Amino acid sequence: MDKKTRWMFWIAGIIIFAIFPKLAGIYYSNIVVSMSVWALFAVSLNMLLGFTGLLSFGHAMYFGTGAYGAALALTHVNGLSFFSAMAAGCLCSVVLSLIVAPVVVRVSGTAFAMIHLAFAQCMFVLALKFRNITGGEDGIGGFSVSHIRIPGLFSLDVTDPAVFFYLSIGTVILNLLVLWFVIQTPFGQVMAGTRDNVKRIEYLGFRVSHTKAVVYVLAAGSAGVAGAVSAMHQNLVAVNDAYGMMVSVLPIMIVMVGGARSFFGPIYGAVFFGFLEEYVTAYTDKFELILGLILIIFIMYWPLGLAGIFLKLKFKWLTRKQFLKRSGGGAG
Amino acid sequence: MIKPKRYLAIAFCLSVLCFGIVQDASAIDVNASYDLSTLPDMSDFDPNLPLKPDGDTIKIAIISSFTGPGAVTGEAFYLYTSWAAHDINKRGGILVDGKKKKIELIKADNQSRPDVTKKITERMILKEKVDILWGTQMSHLTQIVSQLATRYKKIHVNATSVSDSLMEGKNYSKYSFMTSYSTQQIGRAAAYYYGQIRKKETKFYILCQDYVFGRSIADAFKEGLKEYYPEAELVGEDYHQVFLTDFAPYLTKVKASGAEVIFTGDWMPDAFNLLKQSRQMGIMLPFANIFINDPISLEELGIENGEGLVLISPAGTGNPIFKNQGFINYYKAWNNQWKTKFTPPYNTIRYSHIFGNPAMYAYSIYWTASVIERAKTLDPEKIISVWEGDSYQYPNGKTVSMRACDHKAVTDLHAIEFVKPEDQKQCFNIPPYYIYNTSAAGGPVFEIPSEKILPKADPQLCK
Repeated sequence: MDKKTRWMFWIAGIIIFAIFPKLAGIYYSNIVVSMSVWALFAVSLNMLLGFTGLLSFGHAMYFGTGAYGAALALTHVNGLSFFSAMAAGCLCSVVLSLIVAPVVVRVSGTAFAMIHLAFAQCMFVLALKFRNITGGEDGIGGFSVSHIRIPGLFSLDVTDPAVFFYLSIGTVILNLLVLWFVIQTPFGQVMAGTRDNVKRIEYLGFRVSHTKAVVYVLAAGSAGVAGAVSAMHQNLVAVNDAYGMMVSVLPIMIVMVGGARSFFGPIYGAVFFGFLEEYVTAYTDKFELILGLILIIFIMYWPLGLAGIFLKLKFKWLTRKQFLKRSGGGAG
Repeated sequence: MIKPKRYLAIAFCLSVLCFGIVQDASAIDVNASYDLSTLPDMSDFDPNLPLKPDGDTIKIAIISSFTGPGAVTGEAFYLYTSWAAHDINKRGGILVDGKKKKIELIKADNQSRPDVTKKITERMILKEKVDILWGTQMSHLTQIVSQLATRYKKIHVNATSVSDSLMEGKNYSKYSFMTSYSTQQIGRAAAYYYGQIRKKETKFYILCQDYVFGRSIADAFKEGLKEYYPEAELVGEDYHQVFLTDFAPYLTKVKASGAEVIFTGDWMPDAFNLLKQSRQMGIMLPFANIFINDPISLEELGIENGEGLVLISPAGTGNPIFKNQGFINYYKAWNNQWKTKFTPPYNTIRYSHIFGNPAMYAYSIYWTASVIERAKTLDPEKIISVWEGDSYQYPNGKTVSMRACDHKAVTDLHAIEFVKPEDQKQCFNIPPYYIYNTSAAGGPVFEIPSEKILPKADPQLCK
């Protein structure tokens, strides 16, 4: 892709983003918001799974903590804006990860996966039992997000679905960009090295546990942002949707289907699952069955996921282009 | 030859009878009622193959869980509401904006999940363009529907969630109408029954689901005991997770507490699992409940294990069930369809009758349709003005009114004691003279007047 095409691509993206709520309406805008939340959550998980080689069966604990953090902040602090609530959610997840990190970075493999399962279940039970704080099974709902105001300039009503669309998508994109830049830095190379050969990384003088801790906190914070946006989007946080087992399993499925070795894989996966849910549930209530079948197919036949398929198609297209160029262009 | 004394006696009896009829008629002071005199031919009703009404329709979204553990609830919601819609359509529909419109029901599966509830409700409003939202199970999910009803200005009929808090404070929505009973009524009705009518057991144990509904129904029961049964003793209180499968830890505590009655608001499948496990553990205590009336589950347990259960019902009218030929015809139309036409999953004994709690789902559709017909429009503001303070009589003769200040239904409740089949005749007064021959079901019925158990009123709304 040359520079000009890239610029055109970005401009087209921005225009589509700007007119989407008007063009597609509230319903589809909300679907895109949900997809973006899942995309960010899955990318945050993939920072651990795909780039550092750490499989977590309990990433929901950061998503849930972000969601509860934002909801509690909005419930108890008057006049809190979208960004403040999001920051509160993110901060809660980061604090939790800082508490948990010293324990979990010392383990890897199955132990890492299972210890997260245990932590997530603890959070689930705590949220269920401390109903005075969390609302128990009912959750916390009906909180209001204040308008975003700059006196004399503008006031944005966050309850307007179009405004919420811009804010949430913008937030998700910014967060994704931060994660993308981290991957591009030398630190990103250390992460990949940790995944591929821990001993070599240690030998090179990097502290593996510290690397893991930094990635871990970063992933937790991003999951917290996703949770906070989700809480404000749903205007409700319930224990099953915050800390439930499926909340931990679904991003793993999204990553597997999208492609764990690619930064954009989980985003493809989230979009794929979003569309799948939208269209499959209109015809059948056996969505989970179809989800399972798709996962089996991907693991068996396309282990690199959608990102791998796209890469293959791109490679074929480029090869054909080069071939046509060499043979004088055109089939005739 | 008849002696003069006999004439006098007959005349006296007739006058008492006439007075009773006149009294009864005057007691039924309602704005509208279901017309039992012109029951349409319902022989083409098939819940698995609902007739899609043609032309411009009034769309109602039935929001419920149709998958997962809550699916059985959605199944019942859809069956009974479909019946009412079919009935109304067979009568030609409802006159709205000068045009007869039929009712179209659309299933909306919320999977008992908040995010899906929001999504599916918005899909119903924005894509399917429904006129009315109906449902759903679980208070926090109903709250989501209610919030969306406010946002998109759609009438929301809540015939299924009974937490008082749904219609209080910031949760109150002028677009939502609670057509069934509320937790405050149920809890206090159970206490009233034990304290003012039965007056036997004194030790109670509360075991409810751990969410707003379970908590508020338990609070109402405790309030009711203070008010109507001060000598009663609460020997224990526990709250369990929804869709729990192992009640043993709780039941062990119940056993040790010396309780004489277990009060629970649990709904299916928890309600039955709780009862089943208690019987397996040798706990034969009666349950004061609102949802342990599923014949399939009770049949599985055997008649003796269901005897003594006390059901607080919003649908009762006192014994016997059939008070006039019109309702007998209505009931037989349903029962005949069930016997001859219903296919799985609707051909089980669970759906053999159209009275009791499940029938309330159908009745709520009749009431909604009647309100729309009287409003003559689908404009939500006009529907609200007709519905506030409205009163309606259901097919079984039960009357219900809508409190204007907070949109909660006000009605008498009934405590129904479950008995063996041969004793069910006092309730089911037409052949075969029992409700279920393989399980315990309604026997003696006791009325709890509405004025003793009014739904909780938010002082900010009901000044």
